[in-house]
Amino acid sequence: MTRTIIILTLLGLALFAFSAMDFEYGKPGPRVSEHYIEKGVTETGALNMVTSIYLNYRAYDTLGEATVFFATALGVFMLLRKEKSGDGSHFESS
Amino acid sequence: MDRTSKVVKTFTRKLFPFILLYGCYLISHGHLTPGGGFQGGVIFGSAIILLGLVEGIRMTEKRFREDMLSLTKNIGMLIFMLFGFTGMILGYAFLSDFLPKGETGTVPSAGLILLLNLTIGFMVGTGIAVIFYRSVRHGSEEE
Repeated sequence: MTRTIIILTLLGLALFAFSAMDFEYGKPGPRVSEHYIEKGVTETGALNMVTSIYLNYRAYDTLGEATVFFATALGVFMLLRKEKSGDGSHFESS
Repeated sequence: MDRTSKVVKTFTRKLFPFILLYGCYLISHGHLTPGGGFQGGVIFGSAIILLGLVEGIRMTEKRFREDMLSLTKNIGMLIFMLFGFTGMILGYAFLSDFLPKGETGTVPSAGLILLLNLTIGFMVGTGIAVIFYRSVRHGSEEE
C-alpha cells in the first residue's frame, strides 16, 4: 500500500516536472500542403483537390491501394473455389 | 422458391440502369466533383449485388458472367500499370501526367487522372461483384 502511494507520488512529481519544462517543438504543419492548395488546380487541372493529390501527386500510393484491393479479390477468388462435384444447380435451392 | 416481393423486384429492375449511370457519373467526374474511382466503382459493384440479391445469382450470371467480370478486373489492373510505364517511356516519372490538359472545369481537363479513375472504377466494381459471387456460392455450398 505504501509502495503504491510512493510510486504514484513520484509519478505525479515527474509529470509536474515534465510539464514545467520548456521544450522547443518544431514548426507545425508540413509546407507541401500550401503548395497543393495554391498550385493544385493549375498544375493538375483537377478541381477536386483530393483527386489531384491521390491521382497526381501521390499516384504511387494509389497504385498500392489498388494492389491491396486486387490481392483481396484474388484471394477470395482462389480460396472460395467452386467444388467440381456439384452440377451448379445448388444456387436456387435453399 | 421465390420469396421476393413483387414491389422490390419491379423497383430493382427500374432502378438498376440509373444506379449504373450514377456510378459512371461518379467515376467520370471524379476530378471535378466529390467522388472518384473507388467510390464510383463501389456503387457499380453494389448495383450488381442488388441485382444478385433480388433476382438470384443465376439470373444475374446470365447478364454479368463471372469470368468476364474477373477478366475486367485483371485487365483494369494491367492498364493501370501500363499508364504508369507509358509515362516512364515518354520521359516522365512513374505514373506522372503525360497528357495535355484541357480547359479547367470540363471533363477532359485533368489528363491522366480521368483515365486512372476509369481503370480503378471498373476494377473495384467488378472486383466487388466477383467477391460477392464467390461468397454467395460458398455459403450455398455449405448447407
